[in-house]
Amino acid sequence: MFELFTSYFYGKYRNAGKLHYTEIRGFTIVVSNVAGGRKDAMRHFLQELSRNRILFLMLLPTLIYFLINSYFPMVGVYYAFTQFDFNSGLFDSAFVGLKNFEFLWKSGTLFRLTLNTVGYNLAFIVLGNVLAIVCAILLSELRIKWFKKLTQSIMFLPYFVSFVILSVIVYNVFNYDSGFLNTLLAQFGAEPVDVYNKPVIWIFLIILFYLWKNLGYSMVIYLATITGISEEYYEAAKIDGANIFQRIWYITVPMLKTTFVMLLLFALGSIMKGQFDLFYQLIGNNGVLYNTTDILDTYVFRSLKVTFDVGMATAAGLYQSLFGFILIMTVNWIIRKINDEYALF
Amino acid sequence: MKKKSLSKGSLMMLTLVLIMALLSGCGGGNGNNAGSGNDSSGGKSGNDGSSSATGQTADTGIDTSKRVELQVYMLGDAPKDLDKVMAEVNKMAQAELNTTVKFNYTSWTDWDQKYKLLLSSGQAIDLIFTADWTSYQSYAKKGAFLALDDLLPKAAPELQKFVPQSMWDGVKVDGKIYTIPSTYKEYVTNGFVWREDLRKKYDLPVPKDLESFEAYMDGIKQNEPDMMPVSLNSDVKNNLHYIYTELNKMIGALPYGMGVKYENPTEVYSFWGSEEHKEELKVMKRWADKGFIPKNVLNIKDTMQDPLTSGKAASIFGDNPTRFNESVIAVQASHPDWELGYTPFGETTGYASPVHPIHNGFAVPKNSKNPERALAFYEKLVLDQRYNQLTEYGIEGTNYTVEDGYYKMIGTSQSNGFPREAMNGWAWRNPEYMLFDKSFDGVKEIFAELDKIQKPDLFLSFAEDYTSYQAEKAALEQVEKQYLYPLQAGLVDDVDKGLATFMEKAKQAGLEKVQQEWTKQWEQYVSESGIK
Amino acid sequence: MRIKEDKYYGLLQGLSYSVTILFSIACLLPFLLIISASLTANDSIIRDGYHLIPSTFSLEGYRTVFRFPEDVLRAYGVTFFTTVVGTTLGLFFMTMAGYVLSRRDFKYRNAFSFYIYFTTLFGGGLVPWYILYTKYLHLTDSYMALILPGLMTPFLIILMKNFIRTAVPEELFESAKIDGAGDFRIYWRIVLQLSMPGIATVGLFLALHYWNDWFSSSLYINDTHKYQLQFHLYNVINSASFIANMGAGTGVSLAGDLPTESTKMAMAIVVTGPVLFLYPFIQRYFVKGLTIGAVKG
Repeated sequence: MFELFTSYFYGKYRNAGKLHYTEIRGFTIVVSNVAGGRKDAMRHFLQELSRNRILFLMLLPTLIYFLINSYFPMVGVYYAFTQFDFNSGLFDSAFVGLKNFEFLWKSGTLFRLTLNTVGYNLAFIVLGNVLAIVCAILLSELRIKWFKKLTQSIMFLPYFVSFVILSVIVYNVFNYDSGFLNTLLAQFGAEPVDVYNKPVIWIFLIILFYLWKNLGYSMVIYLATITGISEEYYEAAKIDGANIFQRIWYITVPMLKTTFVMLLLFALGSIMKGQFDLFYQLIGNNGVLYNTTDILDTYVFRSLKVTFDVGMATAAGLYQSLFGFILIMTVNWIIRKINDEYALF
Repeated sequence: MKKKSLSKGSLMMLTLVLIMALLSGCGGGNGNNAGSGNDSSGGKSGNDGSSSATGQTADTGIDTSKRVELQVYMLGDAPKDLDKVMAEVNKMAQAELNTTVKFNYTSWTDWDQKYKLLLSSGQAIDLIFTADWTSYQSYAKKGAFLALDDLLPKAAPELQKFVPQSMWDGVKVDGKIYTIPSTYKEYVTNGFVWREDLRKKYDLPVPKDLESFEAYMDGIKQNEPDMMPVSLNSDVKNNLHYIYTELNKMIGALPYGMGVKYENPTEVYSFWGSEEHKEELKVMKRWADKGFIPKNVLNIKDTMQDPLTSGKAASIFGDNPTRFNESVIAVQASHPDWELGYTPFGETTGYASPVHPIHNGFAVPKNSKNPERALAFYEKLVLDQRYNQLTEYGIEGTNYTVEDGYYKMIGTSQSNGFPREAMNGWAWRNPEYMLFDKSFDGVKEIFAELDKIQKPDLFLSFAEDYTSYQAEKAALEQVEKQYLYPLQAGLVDDVDKGLATFMEKAKQAGLEKVQQEWTKQWEQYVSESGIK
Repeated sequence: MRIKEDKYYGLLQGLSYSVTILFSIACLLPFLLIISASLTANDSIIRDGYHLIPSTFSLEGYRTVFRFPEDVLRAYGVTFFTTVVGTTLGLFFMTMAGYVLSRRDFKYRNAFSFYIYFTTLFGGGLVPWYILYTKYLHLTDSYMALILPGLMTPFLIILMKNFIRTAVPEELFESAKIDGAGDFRIYWRIVLQLSMPGIATVGLFLALHYWNDWFSSSLYINDTHKYQLQFHLYNVINSASFIANMGAGTGVSLAGDLPTESTKMAMAIVVTGPVLFLYPFIQRYFVKGLTIGAVKG
């Protein structure tokens, strides 16, 4: 109560002039000596709150948004531990412990699913970013303006091709009987290839299609960062006699590092999720390919389509979340040790 | 300076917050009003049937003194002219039941997810479509719907008499009625579909069992090498496996590889892993080797009918009479010189089951605010010709006309705002008021044939309770897709080994537990319902 | 006037042009295939597959998409409205948040970053979220239900924070403060001006989200007049694929048959078209810095 009072004062007089500012500050320091421990932290917070009143106010809509849109529904995590029942609400349903998690390992594929999911995501993250950086740099070096604009637009096209349509095109190219690839091979007298029966090929195909579809999108981020780099750096380096590759390596690349680390960290948190449509549409019912192409999301989708169970769906989500959570906390902690600037939070 | 910037910033934010509030107010307001309207009325109407002589009283004898708006949820897409039709319906319902009705559509996009959300979120819904393929039995068992046994005599006595008792019994789950079945009798059993013109041209046998069908495909492969002998897509379970078992007189689409023969329903065995199963897989392997099943069948996403009607495929392994008729119409329009032939499986198996009452129905979800009014309205929908024909065929003169007792659409399905049965009101079809297009005569003929050999469906009343083995059930689904689908599509070279692998994986996933539980429940069901 | 370029300059130029040309072709080809397929008769697609030049020319795909033109136009309108309002609101809130989190003198920035980031890790799932929107916020059939999901995402906020950090040097805040500018004024007058490429990027991503969104309509909209474009078109296709995926046992048949494949392709073109026209306007912000540099050099 008292803290509130002081910070109220503190804030109120803050804009009135320097004198009050120090006066009140002195006052609060006295108070802090009386109160201690946790109250102290609270007081510090309120102090900060009033000092950066406007900043807090500017952040407020965001905080409220996530509170309502994301934090309120989180009570639903409890579904993961109950037997869903239409007659009783969330907290009246029977508690079943970890029973809802069982289906994850019952088929004996959890380990492989986890491995596949993490593996694909790592490939997407690393290759996706490296390619995006290279392309962004190359594109930014183009001097013909209309050409640059045009190619950049074209590279964005795949983003609009939905996976449903992509799967149709892919089937058209690779199917055994009448696909474009085999027609071509036949013309050269080569043996036809049954791509849809070769699990290993799909590791590469899936990564390829992911890159193809998302490159235009992720490149924009790097392109924007490069655009933001001041031209003066380059001029100075030029005068010092650095060649174009040196300028890129010593100026552009380091400037992109922050962005890269941020994207990396972000992607790591959801390493167990994502890209459902890519896998679901391209592979679909083809069980022959599951060993190399089944990820957690597709597995959960297929399994729950037959049971409609809210509890099990939540349980699967929780497993993905926990995995990502532990990973991201660890990596963020390490990065913070190395360089605070790069840490996500 | 400082002050000024401050107030400007706050002002800016205030404006935006206001805009947001306004936006949410606009839309939210509607929802709110509807909601509160229901709130105030719903509580009372259910209490007492005999009271309140002051209000309007419908002929059904329930209290209709409070005006309510019913929320009805339908599957699929709303027809374009829904508003016009509903305006007419509401005019009548307002006068007769003091009720207006709002039909909401889930659309076919993610309909199963939306269906689940509607029921599990506890929304106030008064009527919702049910069918075996929307998992009526599971939802009823888990308590999603209101039991109608006590409500029906009061709110919809005529309807209760109209639907035969055997049908009411058929939809019972754990001894209670949860849905109002449709009384229209139709067959959705399968039959061979083939190109009659090609059959005649190359003098091939008429497909009427597995052997002759294979011979027909052989002939097509020989004479029309560029054609697919049979139309198939990635859903091999439904389009190959279950059709094969239907031909082999097994009951329905049983899960977990359970096997029950129609002639001997009390005896349950594991079809998976049996000699019979191996036999099926060997047939499929042979078909694949002969090139009947495309190598990449598991990635084909075409519909079953498109390849046939466009001339890419020469047959469908199994399709129901109504859809066969649609294919005929499509072919007549685009290739008048082609001909399609049809043999219902009933001719091979010696019996055909009309649809089970569960197949089409409407339930009252347990969160309904106006269950009585909902039933009273549904009674009108089925039994009152004005309501019924309006909601099935649209406005006479605008959407359709009647010629010689036949339904005739005005314009085409592309231009008409309410084609036949556009509201998807399959469940309230009333045989007495039904109008058919002339082209439907073909289907009626097939139905008449099947009527001669009809036997009731024994399977659908069985409501499985998988609570105790749902983890195993989910895991099995995965194993089945991964190891059995390729076998069913004839893709695995060594059938014996492939089947052994599948069985081993299935056992690891808990097949035995699932089969035991299922068998126990089935046996109980069989003995309780007196099936022998 | 530019300083003489070194010998590697030509090499890099050559590399840049060849890589971009190659990649552009890879991106363009499938798209041409889609355009061609959208102009092909459905029967012909099913029989002969896809070709770069339509084997049997037909507009039936587009005719199906536009069979009730007022519906499509209305859906365009809804999508346009939600995209504009959502992007404007979202950009305003997210640039503010990004700015606040980028301020090094804002003590709790890490805690708040975590508060925001945490929501990407854990979620309650679909059901509670659905209940919140329908039962507590009463958003069924409101435009708010189309705007609110995705209005702000942790990814874009952190991205924005990053852009502001690289674009606005810390010293600028200090000097602006000494000049007596308030926090909001610094944001409004300095931060927004300097981080234009970043804002353009985040705005683009946000706008694309709204433009491509169909899920919100699917969940929260019953009134067909408020369907978003993507959802409206999806439904045309899905009613056809529904029949394909349900076995014959459902006995469901839908009025009128649709040319599925060609419609699917026409739909892709109808959705992408407007974005392709608008994209060059956003592009200005990505090349601006460079053109200034080129002129200067």
